[in-house]
Amino acid sequence: MSKKWILLCLLVIVSPIAALFFGAADLSSSELIHCMTQGCQDPVNNMIFWEIRAPRVFVGFLVGAGLAIAGATLQNITRNGLADPYLFGVVSGAGLGASIATLLFDSKLAEQLGLIQMFPSLSFSLALPFAAFLGALFAVFLVQILAAKTFGSKTEHMLLAGIAVSFMLSAFSHFILFLGEPFAANKVIFWLMGSLARVEIWYAWVMLPVVVISVAILLIYGRHMDALLLGDENAKTLGVQVTRLRILSLAICAALTACIVSYCGGIGFVGLMIPHIVRNWLGVTSRIVIVGCVLLGGCFMVWVDVLARVALPNQEIPIGIITSAIGSVFFLLVMSQRRQ
Amino acid sequence: MSNPCSLIANNVNLKIGQQQILSDVCLNLSAGKVMGVLGPNGAGKTSLLKILSGQLASQHSVSWNNKALTDYDPMSLAQQIAVVNQLNDSVFALDLYQIVRMGLLPHKSLLSRQTAEDDKSISDAISRVGLDNKVKQTFSSLSGGEQQRGLIARALVQKAALIVLDEPVNHLDVYYQHQVLKLLRSLAHKLNITVVMSLHDLNLAANYCDHLCLLDEGLMVAQGTPQQVLTAERLQQVFKIPCHVSQSGNNAAFRVDFYPPDEVELDVAPAAEDSSK
Repeated sequence: MSKKWILLCLLVIVSPIAALFFGAADLSSSELIHCMTQGCQDPVNNMIFWEIRAPRVFVGFLVGAGLAIAGATLQNITRNGLADPYLFGVVSGAGLGASIATLLFDSKLAEQLGLIQMFPSLSFSLALPFAAFLGALFAVFLVQILAAKTFGSKTEHMLLAGIAVSFMLSAFSHFILFLGEPFAANKVIFWLMGSLARVEIWYAWVMLPVVVISVAILLIYGRHMDALLLGDENAKTLGVQVTRLRILSLAICAALTACIVSYCGGIGFVGLMIPHIVRNWLGVTSRIVIVGCVLLGGCFMVWVDVLARVALPNQEIPIGIITSAIGSVFFLLVMSQRRQ
Repeated sequence: MSNPCSLIANNVNLKIGQQQILSDVCLNLSAGKVMGVLGPNGAGKTSLLKILSGQLASQHSVSWNNKALTDYDPMSLAQQIAVVNQLNDSVFALDLYQIVRMGLLPHKSLLSRQTAEDDKSISDAISRVGLDNKVKQTFSSLSGGEQQRGLIARALVQKAALIVLDEPVNHLDVYYQHQVLKLLRSLAHKLNITVVMSLHDLNLAANYCDHLCLLDEGLMVAQGTPQQVLTAERLQQVFKIPCHVSQSGNNAAFRVDFYPPDEVELDVAPAAEDSSK
């Protein structure tokens, strides 16, 4: 095992533990260590530790890993290092699905229509990612159709179609929010900015299987994904069923993005940055990139969430604002590097 | 009765839109031979290669190893036929080893691992094309000739019995042109691999191919040995330029010389007069 992988594994062990020490509540280090090893002495601390901090770190790790994998997969199938669920319209599609679901099932309108009785809170919690998944799938297929029929089948055209679809679906989301009742709309606006502030542990039980299954499928198809890097024609001559693999990969991206976006909101640019760093640092073949993205993406999000909690006293910055700020600078750096 | 491992095409036709690209092309090539596909631009060379390699969905008219190409599933077709296309620059810096390793793909199930035998076949293929010292170099940093040899190494790892190449010596200097073609000929003759490639240079085709096909406007004008196909009258008729074909002895190099017409008429409209004057 190379030094780089050992370093990354150490980072994966240290980051979540270290992140538990940061938060609004004033928990001493000795109390925290006690909580981790023998259980908390104080029931309030116990609640803070097990119901707020630990779930947040765990979900944060899954969110980072999932978004990084989705980005890496999109980059692989488009052969473009600048592809990202955000730029591809997947996040906007998931956002639209989630906005519709929230306003339909979690507002006064829903109460009046009797939808709340029909869908109790747990089923709504599952309906939310499902609606986001449908929205994300809709975006993915819209991009595919537009790219193939209107723009042309080149990958650059797919990106252009992605940007167009992204703006269009965002416009729909905003229009729905404009029409919706202010309280529900506010909730959605905060959610669109992306945050781990309201994370609960059961989020992880929805995200974990999606992330694990996605990683497993992508690792199994690793050689086929590598062949796609040579272009569709070359991949076909190696026996790869390109269309089928592309649909599978896009469905995986849609599922990952949807289950993350529906619970934690729009967190942009992670899918752009992390795969780029992994490729430069660890290697470019698909299996290495996927494993690297899980580990590095997870750690990155854990630390971004720490920053979101501690940067301003007594309040939290929505995590999407931080990732977008870092990501946009990163994007510009990559572009200028390419130019050189 | 046809030989096993022979490539047979019967009346291959291809029409795209209203345009007839290939008309009734027939050929029969036995194993271990090098075939060159010749013809002017737009003659249908690339289309024929795509049909012969199963890349273009064609009729049941092409068979390899006594089985129609359409009856092969994608993986088993890739185990039989390797295609060497020019690679576009990849945005991700794959190295030579990673490119060559992709030749294993048709022989591996989704869950199987790379064995010591696979490692050996990769390193043997890289040695055979003479690129041992470039294994870890990124593919895009290799010269055109090295890239072409790297792709041929991938075809060797693919263990294909038929290698199809579209203009493999395009953009290569004279040294690499000969090196690549010599390599292909030795693979065909020593490993009994069938090689089919399109070429523009008739002298290279004459001296490195066992069998030639001459296409013109989608029709097979002639096929056979270089001596049979490359006659001055036929080349003049197809390429529309006077030429001279010579061979001093049976084993001497074949030579085709074209003589451009004295006056080249350009079909360009005269520049419009400046209206501001």
